[in-house]
Amino acid sequence: MALVSQTTINGADTAWLMTSTALVLLMTLPGVALFYAGMVRKKSVLNTMANVVGVAAVVSIVWFALAYSLAFGAGSRWIGNLDRAWFAGLDYVKDAGTLAVSHVAPNVPESVYAMFQLSFAIITAALVVGAFVERMRFSAVLWFAALWSVLVYAPVAHWVWEPGGWLAELGALDFAGGSVVHVNAGVAGLVCAYALGRRTGYGREPFEPYSLAFTMVGAGMLWVGWFGFNAGSAVAADGRAGLALAVTHIAAAAGALGWMVAEWTVRRRPSLLGLCSGLVGGLVAITPAAGFVRPGSAALIGLIAGLACYWGATALKRMLQADDSLDVFGVHGVGGIVGSLLTGVFADKRISGVNGDVLTQATAVGAVALYSAVGTAVVLVIVRVLVGLRVDDEAERLGLDLAEHRERLGH
Amino acid sequence: MTESERVAIAARLHVALRRKTGRVTDTEWMAVNVEYAAEMVRFARAHAADTKDTELAEIATRLEEVMAPIAAEQRVRAATQQSVAAGTATAPQRTLARYIGGLR
Repeated sequence: MALVSQTTINGADTAWLMTSTALVLLMTLPGVALFYAGMVRKKSVLNTMANVVGVAAVVSIVWFALAYSLAFGAGSRWIGNLDRAWFAGLDYVKDAGTLAVSHVAPNVPESVYAMFQLSFAIITAALVVGAFVERMRFSAVLWFAALWSVLVYAPVAHWVWEPGGWLAELGALDFAGGSVVHVNAGVAGLVCAYALGRRTGYGREPFEPYSLAFTMVGAGMLWVGWFGFNAGSAVAADGRAGLALAVTHIAAAAGALGWMVAEWTVRRRPSLLGLCSGLVGGLVAITPAAGFVRPGSAALIGLIAGLACYWGATALKRMLQADDSLDVFGVHGVGGIVGSLLTGVFADKRISGVNGDVLTQATAVGAVALYSAVGTAVVLVIVRVLVGLRVDDEAERLGLDLAEHRERLGH
Repeated sequence: MTESERVAIAARLHVALRRKTGRVTDTEWMAVNVEYAAEMVRFARAHAADTKDTELAEIATRLEEVMAPIAAEQRVRAATQQSVAAGTATAPQRTLARYIGGLR
């Protein structure tokens, strides 16, 4: 797209999108890092954090080099183009008073839009980490993040969010990433868990989490950061963004309570981890719906998601028999599916001008899940050939902090 | 006893064994692995007894002391595992047992 005059840019929209970019990055660093590190054993806390930081760095470079252009270039119905590889053309010319904008978001500088979308690419790959903690080589994690972002995340983002993408043309609704981020990460996590196998001692020994206080701090950052994730996805500082922010908060609260009620009923004790997991489940489920539903619907979506994610992380997990270590599929996969389908039920035409359709939503979820499963498996095969996937038994026994980084947490 | 203190004592034993017996050990592994530490303590004591080396014997005893809590923790975990399997777990054991096969 040619450069446009600076006067076409909306200052408020730009400021809000820059703020949202920072909020979404904060969700990963340190939000997801703390959320996950608190749930692993003491001997692999630093490795879990290193995985998240490493993923953020690798995905950033890959996004800049290739993935942004593949995801948001006009291209075909299936994939973008290479026009923006290495951020080519993301210009700002002071003397002429012109700058580049994306056809997807013409009211803000393309540099800001590209960075906002980068923060989504980062968190999606970082979420997958939870499925393979405590046993995957650090080098394999980096290769996986790089290849997965290009081969899986970028095409899916193009299908759903680029106006010419086939799922966007079909009318699939995904305001902030119910399918692109959460179904995608959840399914990828499950495939990783199957491919890597269980941790030594899984199902026989108690894997005591290092610090659920870490996890609570991380969950709090996710809750706050999610305002940028959802309300930022309006790509404007307007009424729709305000409503997205409100429904995000309501769904998080309802999700926490939904999980709590389920756990209190089944286990006779509400846990802190349950509250944190439930609020994340509510946030995940409202993600595709945030710019389409009213507050009452958000409460219902959050509540249903809290219950469904509890089932996903307990009964469904036992059925699947994979060591999806931190329940990436149980929370993000299940929450993403529930939210995407309920968006078809509750989308209100008065808010966005479009109606939802459950069948279309199910088609989008199915397509993303299938592609993510196959694509992730292919990426894992490539990484296995390149560097191997799993650490050896002795490294696993010693803990990945020492084995992979020669660092220890201290006391 | 912190991990860094355990490593410090393991490092003392590593240096003493290297100097006095020529044996090379893995300091970090000695500070975390109960079985390996116990074997190094046994070896150091045997050498100390042969050579009447009280300093080496003292370091070995010190390492044994600092590894004791880890050994105890491992015994508790093993007992928990057996009790849960047998259906005779106590309340604290049941709390730990909730983390078998899942977090939630």
